[in-house]
Amino acid sequence: MESNDVEDEEFGFSRNYFLAKELCGSGKKSARKLSEIGVVDEQELRDAYTKIESKHEKEIGDLVSSYRKSYSEWAFVLRCGFGLLMYGFGSKKALIEDFASTALTDYSVIVINGYLQSVNLKQVAVTLAELLWEQLKMHRKSTSESQPKSQQPFLTRSMDDLISFLDGPHLEDDECFVCVLVNNIDGPGLRDSETQQYLSRLAACSHIRMVASIDHVNAPLLWDKKMVHTQFNWYWYHVPTYAPYKVEGTFFPLILAHSGSAQSVKTASIVLQSLTPNAQSVFKVLAEHQIAHSEEEGMPFNNLYTICRERFLVSSQITLNAHLTEFKDHELVKTRRNADGEDCLYVPLTSEALQKLVQEITQ
Amino acid sequence: MAPVADIPSSPSIPIAESNLQPFFILHKASPRKPAAKTRRKIDLSPRTADGSTEEHIDNLRFETFKFLSSNTESVIKDVLKNLNVNVFDEIDKWVHISFDAIRACKTLDSASSTRPYPILDNASIAVPGASRQIFTGLLFTKNMEFVDDILTFSDLGEHLKSRGCYVANFSSLDFSAKNGVGGCLKTLLRQFLMVDIDAPEMSILASWYTEKGNNENPLVLIIEDVERCYGPVLNDFIIMLREWVIKIPIILILGVATTVDSLRSTLTSNGFLYLSVCEFTLGTPAERMDAVIEAVLLKRCQRFSVGKQVSTFLRNYFLRHDGTLTLFLRALKIAMVQHVCAAPFLRCTFRKLVDEDFDDNSILLTETFLKQARDIPSFQRYCQRSANSANWANGLSDMKRLRKLWSSTVMCLYEVGKYRKTTLLDLYCEVLEPGPDNSNSPDHMQLPKHNTMSLHNHDSIGCPKKEGYVGWAIQRVRDLPVVELCKLLNRWEMLTRGIKEIHEKVKELHSLTTFEANHPKLDQTETPRRQAAARNKVNEKTDKATVNEKVATFLQCIVGEYIQPIESIPFNEIVFFDDAEKLQTALIGDPRRRIQVDLLESNKFLKCSCCSKNSGMPVPSMHNTSIMYSLAQEHGDLINLHEWYHSFKSIVTGTRVQVQKPKKRLKSSPSPSPKKPKDSNEQTKNRSDADIQAEFCRAVIELQMTGLLRMPSKRRPDYVQRVAFGL
Repeated sequence: MESNDVEDEEFGFSRNYFLAKELCGSGKKSARKLSEIGVVDEQELRDAYTKIESKHEKEIGDLVSSYRKSYSEWAFVLRCGFGLLMYGFGSKKALIEDFASTALTDYSVIVINGYLQSVNLKQVAVTLAELLWEQLKMHRKSTSESQPKSQQPFLTRSMDDLISFLDGPHLEDDECFVCVLVNNIDGPGLRDSETQQYLSRLAACSHIRMVASIDHVNAPLLWDKKMVHTQFNWYWYHVPTYAPYKVEGTFFPLILAHSGSAQSVKTASIVLQSLTPNAQSVFKVLAEHQIAHSEEEGMPFNNLYTICRERFLVSSQITLNAHLTEFKDHELVKTRRNADGEDCLYVPLTSEALQKLVQEITQ
Repeated sequence: MAPVADIPSSPSIPIAESNLQPFFILHKASPRKPAAKTRRKIDLSPRTADGSTEEHIDNLRFETFKFLSSNTESVIKDVLKNLNVNVFDEIDKWVHISFDAIRACKTLDSASSTRPYPILDNASIAVPGASRQIFTGLLFTKNMEFVDDILTFSDLGEHLKSRGCYVANFSSLDFSAKNGVGGCLKTLLRQFLMVDIDAPEMSILASWYTEKGNNENPLVLIIEDVERCYGPVLNDFIIMLREWVIKIPIILILGVATTVDSLRSTLTSNGFLYLSVCEFTLGTPAERMDAVIEAVLLKRCQRFSVGKQVSTFLRNYFLRHDGTLTLFLRALKIAMVQHVCAAPFLRCTFRKLVDEDFDDNSILLTETFLKQARDIPSFQRYCQRSANSANWANGLSDMKRLRKLWSSTVMCLYEVGKYRKTTLLDLYCEVLEPGPDNSNSPDHMQLPKHNTMSLHNHDSIGCPKKEGYVGWAIQRVRDLPVVELCKLLNRWEMLTRGIKEIHEKVKELHSLTTFEANHPKLDQTETPRRQAAARNKVNEKTDKATVNEKVATFLQCIVGEYIQPIESIPFNEIVFFDDAEKLQTALIGDPRRRIQVDLLESNKFLKCSCCSKNSGMPVPSMHNTSIMYSLAQEHGDLINLHEWYHSFKSIVTGTRVQVQKPKKRLKSSPSPSPKKPKDSNEQTKNRSDADIQAEFCRAVIELQMTGLLRMPSKRRPDYVQRVAFGL
């Protein structure tokens, strides 16, 4: 019986897929253009976007509060050494932060916003180590254990060192831990495999507990079996909230906003602000060149290098390349050929948007 | 914790700036109340209904969980270690032989030890070929699921350390392209020297090794999963090690999941030639699984066990999806959490009872305790059955006794099952199943006899399932040759040691068969004659049959008597966990299906009165994203944005007259498409295009975040693409 069910299910999948394909074939004939919708002015659209009234506010409130009675269970599961993974439709940011402020007051809690474009995990680890250090100190005071020797500041330590500090057996009592809440562990800032590896190693530390939320249906593909079973050690909870993804959706372009310049400036400036001052200055050099020579294809690499060196922004081509790779990863900079066949760098924004961006990062 | 009543409708935390910080500290730990952890004694006196009671229960639960899980964990660890111990010893022996071989070369070249490092001087180059290879042990794991072997390798490391080796463990992550050889070396130095070195060099290791008398011991490098390493880095690493192999006696142990060929393809031919290979093999995953189940679910079954639902679910999931022992162990742990959470007082009190070392009787007699005991259904049944002697202590000891008998009977059956490679998990699931064969009904005792003829056929095609495993096992015992029967009884005797109900009888039967087996002279002399005259066989057959028949009858008896349905065991609620559904949701999660269901059936979760009227049909009051996703179901794999927008608009404004798109719905429930503009009065008014468009945009973003949509590409700017088809 059961195997039949599975087969049926699999058959269902493929049938649905081909049906869908078929539908699409017939649909193409009547293709209408997006531009025919009669989209309102972009500013108006954005204003309306910020003022969307949410439906069922009361029911959503009830639903979210109904999870409160599970808080003690969640805290217990966390205490037992599992990581909590919250999924289901709707923003879970408020929910898990409320959970932490209500039920996890005994522990220090740090929140990582994975929906942002870039998150520096090294800094997170340093902060975690400092929090744990404080917590241990507090604990030692209360149990009058001997104070440990002073140590090297965490900031200068390597990631491996930090992780082994967080994992180290500092107390017999294994209940001294720091909680990490990760909003959107499948978000753009955390999605690459290296970051996920670090996160999983952090989660596996004996003094760390992790609570995370996912929104993407394929999020589990980020992890291999080692990460899932031995490091994150997830305990799944299905907690749909239907709350709007207000903050999480900030960085997504509105599908009906054509130019998207306002949005791009905002996201670009947030990305730039997370970079080092030198990187920002390099970007400014490029942007100013583009504003001054808007008719050109872009700035050749060598020119950029010369100027950056003159201003002591970079010491070698390697460092410049590192900055450029970062820019390209975030789609702040692209390359194209000019008439002479040289590769030129340019920022894919209009001049006005670029000016606005330069202003924003100069402030 | 605060009571549920005083909930602020919107949680108080969101602070605008913190939302845009990559991370922030939500709060720091408040000073701990010292009372929480020091309370060790179980106190059942009723408390006032305040926070402290809850905290108390929580602590009790936690203690119980820790008791159960740490116990199980250590048992499993020991079981796995014992399984591997022979291989580990072999490896250890080989390591020391290899080390001696390297040192033998080194003494030839005494001058070089005084020279500065690092050099590979002529003397060492002149040493014959073999010694310039790296001694390499290939440990075949026979298991593609490398996650199951993480523990094996760390155990191996510990084992070798305890025998005086210096050990460093590597995983394939250390041999990534990004890390490079420098990264590997750094990890190596970090593990041996316990310090981080910015500019790693082999000479540092060499000087560490010659310093402070380290040079009496071999250095062992264990690389867990060689197939997943990045070939060029591993190759370079091996070439580098090889240059130093005389001065630093490094011995490699590589975990290989497939065959030695995979290693050949990972390394260049040159790199491979530098290895002097010796092969070792670990036990199969199935063996490990059986050993773990035996140790956890059968031998220690008085504390925690899983019922039929859960074990069947685990078996199916293990076979079909995730055949790792690690998953199985995690599932057990989750089951323990859920078991402990389900009824706090009950478990917490009783876990002490099932603990063998328990001796504090005083707390058991408290009123609360007795009341709880009386509330347990299985105990009530037990009281009804044995009216006069029914008290909790008898019930409890009965439970322990029955569980022991149950598990040793299962183990006896399993021994028979080894003749056809039955796994213990399969057997466990089947025995729990209250089938006709396993039930306690008196007539099933007769069953195998009636089926004597047909069972032969079943055996030959290897499918005796319909008759039940027990029927098969009994018949198998009947058919066993005397020598095999003797072996079987020997194993049974070992298994049932300490359980007098079964053990005595097994011993008796064993001596009977040994007697038979020890009179083979007769048989041997008779053999030629027997072959000549087949008719004489009849007599012998009856002789043999009587012994076999006795053993078979015995097996029948113990199965009939001791394999009882769980429900009949008093206090089974304390020991058994059997909520497969709950376990599954916590263990696996199913975002792909569940998130779609959230969207398609939002009214079930929101429990609003307005949206549930129209079954499956989008109505204006529904959550926007829900409407959009329901509409998307009507499209093919590409959704025309223009059409989608207009259907959305017609829904939210309540003017949807007819869905323009095809009637072929992917969902089985057909949509009652023609919709009257219902209660449109409130909805339609004052809804500007901008509002609707903004809502549309947000819904698209939300669907994009859930991964159910792919955004328009340059090639198809007017379409989004659907990703999921069907739940």
